[in-house]
Order: sequence, then structure tokens, then C-alpha cells
Amino acid sequence: MKSHGTRILLSALKYIAIGVFVLWVLIPVAWVISLAFKPYAEWRVSYFIPKNFTWNNFVVLFKSEAFVGIMGATAIVEPVTKPLVNSLAVTSFSTIIAVMIGFFTAYGASRYNTPGPFGLFFTLLTRMLPPATFVTPIMVYYSNLRLLDTHFGLIMLYSAVTVTYGIWILKGFIDAIPIEWEEAAMLEGATPIKTLFKVVLPIARPGLVVAGLFIFLLTWTELLFALVLTNVYAVTLPVHISKYVGAVGQLYGPQAALALIGSVIPIAIGYAIQKHLVTGFTFGMVRG
Amino acid sequence: MPEKPPREVKYLATLPVNILLNAVLIIPFAIMIYLAFLKWSPAMGMPWWEAPIIGLTNFARALGDARFIAALGRTALYTVGVVAIEFFLGLALAYTMLGDFIGKKAAIAITIYPLMLPPVVVATIFYLMFQSYGPVNNLFLRAIMGEEALRIYWFLKPDTAFITLLIADIWQWTPFMFLIMYSALSAVPKRLVEAAEVLGARSFTIFWRVRMPLIKPLIVVALVLRGLEAFKMFDYAFIMTGGGPGITTETVSMYIYRTAILYTDISYAAAMSLMILAMIIVIVRAFIWYFFEKGR
Repeated sequence: MKSHGTRILLSALKYIAIGVFVLWVLIPVAWVISLAFKPYAEWRVSYFIPKNFTWNNFVVLFKSEAFVGIMGATAIVEPVTKPLVNSLAVTSFSTIIAVMIGFFTAYGASRYNTPGPFGLFFTLLTRMLPPATFVTPIMVYYSNLRLLDTHFGLIMLYSAVTVTYGIWILKGFIDAIPIEWEEAAMLEGATPIKTLFKVVLPIARPGLVVAGLFIFLLTWTELLFALVLTNVYAVTLPVHISKYVGAVGQLYGPQAALALIGSVIPIAIGYAIQKHLVTGFTFGMVRG
Repeated sequence: MPEKPPREVKYLATLPVNILLNAVLIIPFAIMIYLAFLKWSPAMGMPWWEAPIIGLTNFARALGDARFIAALGRTALYTVGVVAIEFFLGLALAYTMLGDFIGKKAAIAITIYPLMLPPVVVATIFYLMFQSYGPVNNLFLRAIMGEEALRIYWFLKPDTAFITLLIADIWQWTPFMFLIMYSALSAVPKRLVEAAEVLGARSFTIFWRVRMPLIKPLIVVALVLRGLEAFKMFDYAFIMTGGGPGITTETVSMYIYRTAILYTDISYAAAMSLMILAMIIVIVRAFIWYFFEKGR
């Protein structure tokens, strides 16, 4: 058995290791938060607490103006309002579609084995393959259908690539519902469809919420598809961020403010479904 | 419950998902296979279905394309590097946090913070961190190297630019490994560990001989899922380095994107996509066999 001294040393080491990791996570975040509230004169200093606190970096993001004269960066940047609204709309609609379709498919898979094991694995493929390999044909296809730079096109694509998560997360929830409840409803004379909507759907509601929030998180963060398929009209927030950070040069303050705006919703959602994150990211292969 | 689904449930369970996946993914996929054998670019002024078929030329071109091979090698190096580091860090962290300690809930909540951020935001964060007057130079390296540190331009040299990408990925995705390893290690039955302790096994032996074999399947899942994600890497390089300096940090995803969008060489991009897809499908198939089918 270990002596008293070694045990104290070990537990001290443990706290130090955890402390170092916590700092490693927090310092970059703290730097971005501090930059977002610093005026131009303090962007290149080494301290974290702004001396002259300002909201200006956020205000600038919502104005359409040419940044001439700030550090020689000249660029005309659209206000962030439109990308923000686009992202909210596209993400909400595609999440609802993916969750509803995922729910029906998961019910079939859980109770009747409908798409068959191969069909279910096929849906996994849509998520495991790199999006970049799908970009080329989808761009060609959408340009033939005149769906480029439309909300509808983005919504359909996002529902298709996230429906997998809907199926796999909800399958886990539906598997846990006792089958006897449905049988009882059917003995009472309910049709299978009525059983599905009146018995299974209400019980599975927590699952729908978790799947929905998780899919919302994923869609909200997606860059590549939106970058290729949008141009002016349907630009989403990640695309706006990528344009802002790449092209505008060294506008550190507004860039940091934009990063904060982009992370508010995903962080709120992430902590709301903290317990289910493992299940989500691993398609239910690992229970959280 | 009846074995055969009632007709209306069967339609509801299979039709919507089939329509969605066929309309949005399968048809474009079929188009891509055809495109890969064509010589077509929108600049040729004809629709793709009228373009000339040139057989396997695009695939041969990819095999002889030094930029493609370099991007493939770089992406593979990146994938292996980040997955290995994230795995060991995540496992060590999960093991350290296994017992009870003061502030455990807060420590876990902070640890998983990066996981929820959009990759574009993480890229922005590290773009700001690695500026020449950013805190990495101005705070940490300056304390070691003095004023010299302010003249380090991370994004202007291929090696240091590549390192910034690795750091961004490790920062964001170590929590992913941590979460899976943590839930795996917590699920190991306590009585097994206690039994080994009673028998006098040292904690390293317990870890290696009792815990590891039990969490091995989950390790495989974590490594494969993370590996597939890392191989897709686009966002960090696109925002932080732009693939640069030059094309020295370009990943496969970026090269395909540029071929299709900037150079509008659609049929060549389709051919490269198909080759990457074939490679990955072989890997995923092996994974599914290993994890779901072996021993059943």
C-alpha cells in the first residue's frame, strides 16, 4: 500500500494536470473575449483585461461600411444581420425535417426492421464520407435545377446529411419504450398510424428534443456546403465568418466579436444536451 | 408486435427518407460517376451531358498529379498526428478525472467547451492567437525568447503554419476523445477493479489488464470516427492559412474544393472525389466488419 506522502503527492499532481488542461482550454477563449471588447489601440497588447472597454467591435459588425484606414485594411463587408437570419432559418427548417423523417425511419427500424441493416449502415455512410467529395456533383446538380444560392436548396441538403443522426439517436430512444404500450393501444382499436402519433410520439418527445438540438448544433456549424452553394442571397453565418476572417485582414476586434456571436447558440445548446453529446457524436454506438 | 409492418407504417418509415436521400444525394452521386469519365468544365459552354467521354484519363491524371499526392500525404499525416495526440491526451485526462475531486463538475464542463464551438470559430480563435502580436508570441514565447518572439510569423512558414492547424484541431477535439474515454472508463464495473486491488495488483497493471481490454471496442469506435472527421479537415486550413503559404498546407478537401470552384475543372474534381471515396469506403467497411459483424 502507498504511504501517506505519496498519496498527497499524487493528488497534488492530479490537480496540477487538470489545472493545466483547464488553462489550455480557457486561455484562447479568454483572449477572444478580451479582444472583442478592446478598442483598436489595445489589439496588440499582451494584457487580457481591456483598459477602455468598448462595444464598438460589435456595433461595426451590424453596419455596412467600408473599412478604410483601419490598419490599411480596405474591404466592404456586408452586415452580419442577413447571414444570422439565414443561418437561423436554414438550420431550423432543416432540423425539423431531419428530425421528423428520422423519427419515422427510426420507428420502422426499431419495431419492424424496415430499411434492413444494410439500409441503416448506408445512412451512416452519408455522414462518414468527406463533404468535399460531394461538393462537385451537388453544385452541378443544383445549378441545373436552379437551386444555387437558395434557402430551399440548402435546407434539403442539410436535412439529407443530418437525417442519419435523427435516425440513430431516436432509434435508441424508441428501443427503450416498452412495446406493450403500443400493443395495448392497438388492442383498444387504434390504427398503427394513430398508435405512432398518439402513443409513441409523445413518449419519445425528449428524444426528439435531443436529436433536434444535436442536429441544430451540427448544421449551425457547417461551412463547406454553404460556401459552395451560396453566394449572395442565402449566405450563412459560417460563410460570413470565413469571408470576414480571411479577407478583411487584421481587424482583430470585430473578428473576435464575430466569433463570439457565432458561438452563443451552439454553446447554449451544447450545455443543454451535455449528457447526450457522446451518444450523438458516436451515432449511439457509445452510451453517454 | 407483428413481424410484418402494416402497410401505412412501412410507407411512412421508408418513403420520406428514400425520397430525401435519393433526390439530394444519390442522384448527384450518379452524376458524379458519369462526370468523372468526361472532359467537362462549365467554361466549355455546353451542358455536361453533351461533353465528350474520355475514359480513365482523369484518374490517370490524378495519379500523376504531384499536388494531389502531396495533399493526400499531408492529410494522412495530419489525421494520424491529431488522432494519436488527441487519443493519448483524452485517455490520460479521462483517467485522471475518473475519481472524485473538488470541482469535478466544473472541470468537465470547461473541458468539453471547445467541442461545441463551430470549427470556423475555433479557426478564428487560433488565427487571432497566432498573430505576430497575439498572446502566443507576445505572452508565452516572449517570456522565453525575449523580443525575438514578436518577429515569428506563424502563417508564413509551411512548418509552423501546419503546426497551428494541428494545435487548433487538438484544442477542439481532445474533449471528444476525453468524453468517450471517460464514459467508457466509468462503465467498467467497480467490483472488477476492487477485486484486482484485493489481489495486490498495482494501479498500472489494473489499468492495462482490467480496464483496457474492457474499453477496447469503444477505443476503436473513437479512433475511427475521429480519424474520418480529421481526414475531412477543411475549415481550419481555409480560414487560418488559406492552404498557404503557397499550397503547403492544402488538404485533400481544399484541393478538391479549389479544383471544382476556382479552376472549374469539374470532371477532374469528380474523379479525385471518387478516388477518395473508394479509399474511405474500404476503411469504413473494414471498420463495420470489425465492430459489428466479427464474432456475431
